[in-house]
Amino acid sequence: MCGCGDRHAPGEPTPYDVGQAELTTGRRTLLKAGGGLAFSTAALAAGAGAADAAPLARTRKRVYVLVFDGCTPEEISGGQAPHLADLMFGGKRFAKAQSMPIMETIPNHVMMMTGVRPDRSGVPANSVFDRKLGAVRDLDRSSDLRADTIIERLNRRGLRTGTVLSKEYLYGVFGTRATARWEPFPVLPITGHAPDEFTINAAMAMVEDVDPHLMFVNLGDIDRFGHADVTGPLGVKALRRLALAKTDLYVQRFVDLLKSRGTWKHSMLVVLADHSMDWSTTNRVVSLAGPLDEDPVLRGRVQIADNGGADLLYWTGPSAQKEDAVRRMVRIARAETGVLSVFDRRHKSLRLGPQAGEVVAFCRSGWRFSDPDPVTSNPIPGNHGHPATRPIPFFINGGHPRLQHYAASSLVAQTIDVAPTVGRFFGLTGAPKGGYDGRARI
Amino acid sequence: MLATGSAGAALTALPAPSTAAPSTAALATAAQRAGTRYFQHGIASGDPLPTTVLLWTRVTPTAASRPGSGKGPRVTVTWEVSTRKDFRRVLRRGAFVTGPSRDHTVKLDVTGLKPATWYYYRFGFRGTHSRTGRTRTAPAADATPTNLRFGVVSCTNWQAGYFAAYRGLAARNDLHAVLHLGDYLYEYGAGGYGYGSGDVDIRTHDPRHEMVSLSDYRRRHAQYKTDPDLQDAHAKFPWVITWDDHEVTNDQYATGAENHQPGEGDYLRRRARSHRAYDEWMPVRMNDTAGLRDGDRLYRRLTFGRLAEISMLDLRTYRSKQVVTLAPTPVPAIEAEVSDPDRTITGAAQMRWLKESLARPKPFWKVIGNPVMITPVSFVQVPADLLGPINDVTGLLPEDGFPYNVDQWDGYTADRKEVLRFIKDRHVQNALFVTGDIHSGWAAEVPYDVGNYPLGGTGAVEFVCTSVTSNNLKDITGTPAHTTSAVVEAAILANNRHIKYLNFDDHGFSVLDLNAKRAQMDWFVIGDRADKNTPIRYSRSFVSVAASGRVKETDRPLHTQKPGQS
Repeated sequence: MCGCGDRHAPGEPTPYDVGQAELTTGRRTLLKAGGGLAFSTAALAAGAGAADAAPLARTRKRVYVLVFDGCTPEEISGGQAPHLADLMFGGKRFAKAQSMPIMETIPNHVMMMTGVRPDRSGVPANSVFDRKLGAVRDLDRSSDLRADTIIERLNRRGLRTGTVLSKEYLYGVFGTRATARWEPFPVLPITGHAPDEFTINAAMAMVEDVDPHLMFVNLGDIDRFGHADVTGPLGVKALRRLALAKTDLYVQRFVDLLKSRGTWKHSMLVVLADHSMDWSTTNRVVSLAGPLDEDPVLRGRVQIADNGGADLLYWTGPSAQKEDAVRRMVRIARAETGVLSVFDRRHKSLRLGPQAGEVVAFCRSGWRFSDPDPVTSNPIPGNHGHPATRPIPFFINGGHPRLQHYAASSLVAQTIDVAPTVGRFFGLTGAPKGGYDGRARI
Repeated sequence: MLATGSAGAALTALPAPSTAAPSTAALATAAQRAGTRYFQHGIASGDPLPTTVLLWTRVTPTAASRPGSGKGPRVTVTWEVSTRKDFRRVLRRGAFVTGPSRDHTVKLDVTGLKPATWYYYRFGFRGTHSRTGRTRTAPAADATPTNLRFGVVSCTNWQAGYFAAYRGLAARNDLHAVLHLGDYLYEYGAGGYGYGSGDVDIRTHDPRHEMVSLSDYRRRHAQYKTDPDLQDAHAKFPWVITWDDHEVTNDQYATGAENHQPGEGDYLRRRARSHRAYDEWMPVRMNDTAGLRDGDRLYRRLTFGRLAEISMLDLRTYRSKQVVTLAPTPVPAIEAEVSDPDRTITGAAQMRWLKESLARPKPFWKVIGNPVMITPVSFVQVPADLLGPINDVTGLLPEDGFPYNVDQWDGYTADRKEVLRFIKDRHVQNALFVTGDIHSGWAAEVPYDVGNYPLGGTGAVEFVCTSVTSNNLKDITGTPAHTTSAVVEAAILANNRHIKYLNFDDHGFSVLDLNAKRAQMDWFVIGDRADKNTPIRYSRSFVSVAASGRVKETDRPLHTQKPGQS
């Protein structure tokens, strides 16, 4: 798979299944919202359990982080999403913004909310080889995320937080951290996500009924339709353009709601993508499993976690042979057509941590990995994870007087900057232990 | 302390007093007159860095010390740098020894300056001073300037007319530097290449014959440097310059040139002489130094804070010979050889270097000072996915259609493909080619696959300035503006939808403005090149929104905007 589908051991319940079970057994509170929606909640009363945070809890500031999953910067600056473009040009934009390795959904959402790189958060990719489990799986368990999040930091200061995440695995990895979370519904089969129409309705309902100080929203249609868009390699991107146009309208509805409620003038809207998207045809597929298996040392001792545009290679043989194995994996992967670059995972620029294995391979634009099976493992045309999918849209708008309008910065903003930006907006002092890896952009 | 040793090799900065004694206006005027005698070729600055800028002049210590003569004494020229036009507070000063071995040119790096700061400078000789020049350092490496604004020019043929475009640049106060994309001077002899289809010499070259020897090149450089408009423009701003072909001779390539005949001697020796004179006479760092005879690598990077980095290319010294076509430009070439991967326009080392430039993460705008056009200008384009199988069988077709000019990147499509492939693989944003060479104004998107535009996406955008004086299509055909040229323009635009603007009729200059929202180029055009006082007027503006990879026209010229506006 590309790394965007759900991968679990046979019979293992997904975190989404677990969440639903918790609701059924009453371990989480179900808050009924308008329109038949429901949010599971922890303590909702501001200040509860956070005696030291009363001044912050009284703030009227609101932050909405809207993630347009898989959106490219050109799709907004090129005029395909007029409402988003208006928000971008009218706010402060970072036209040179980047996703961080691995350019996948889960790690970049985690980086947004933690402000730290994967070697500190424990979440380097969508899919990893779990050495204890002995299988490749998604990093979608709440326990996979080891770093403190801005959600929890705000919770501790008595602020309300909410997550409206359209994808099951995001719902899983952020777990019950927010004081209110939407259980994505209806979830489409195969894509494992709720359509944006439902997601934005949920976000609007949460604003009305919970009014979180920080709300983290993932809109998955642009990514999901992009993955499946067979017209993508030709550049037509028919499905994706349609999804983008619809989601663009939904966002305007959301902004209109904030303005009609009077919330806008206290708000900061952070709009970005987690990664962008690239398309490949069936004749531009890289599969490393075969070439690696031809090597006498590597045969049967390498596991691959396919992340669409990136392959993570894991040595499962004796530790004494690891360095030799790494050299062999790097050499063999580099020789494959369609491979752009291959790194020893310990390369200082990557900062992926040991969960990402020993070797990281990125494909070229217009190519994809399909491992272990070159045909069936990743048949979809739209992929990301490789450097071609690194640039993202990133801009800040809102009615709070602190924010700049019709401004632009030449600095490189990154997904990792969201948490420190949110923290600064709320006036949080200090930083997580070890400091943020990102920088505040206000 | 005075620098001594071999001419030009030693440079010592003298301690700068905090103030200099004021001089009377009369003394200043007399000194200025005398200075004009000694500094007949003006002054210049170039290649600004955050704390360093290169200064240039040429001293004429005796009447016999004519350029190219090899005569005259070794002499010492002093220099001063100040933030004040009256030099009441001199920040840096020094002395420079020059002589006939370097044609009495002076070229030095002034260090220890502040970033993004205007400075005044002048040279001294025998108690007189040169005119005062103004220059500006680049912003600090991590600075985020609101905007950067550059004058953009190319193709300045002395014989074809007066350099009114330089006059236009010198009259401005809003530029941070001037980019010259090549053909700063021309090699032809009298009557060889002049004004219009009849090649009339509005002014005649010195020497009157084609420049071939070292003395010829020096004399020609010297002649151009006497032009008052050129002198004013050099004195007003630092310049960033690269060469194209005519600095050596027409249509040059790594081992020869169209305009080099066996009777003119060994080509590489001729080129070496040309490069030597260029190094002496131009305010550029070759091999990254102000020194002479330490190499002739002209491609180099200049960083302007986080907002832009300019990579100036040399697309002549390392390129393969142009493909011989059945018919000359502008008849489309059908030769598949233009796509031969063994041919190169950059050379291997410069290609690696260009990729390094493109890969650098911090610069917002990756400006490429590009002597010849990179945008495909071709006919009968076929999508790459369809063309590949055809060529696998036949090998007959150029990859990006039939090009109309094989002297530009269209004649070296494998190199272009390699650059675009690099950009696409890494999704490099905001690559902006700024180009000269073809005596016409263009604004275009550079598609990844010209046969699949616009669906296939774009890797860069390109703005091409027109010539200052060199003949354009209207001049070559001897037809009125908007007649023959309009037909050719329409044919090219209809067959190349990625090209948004084309002007084959006018001469002039451009102004490029960069900020974090967009890149915008304004084109200014002049009247008759033969008229020294010809008027200059604003013409058109095109803009590329950051991260869009697109180009569109705007009705908001730069002079109606505040810096940093979109």
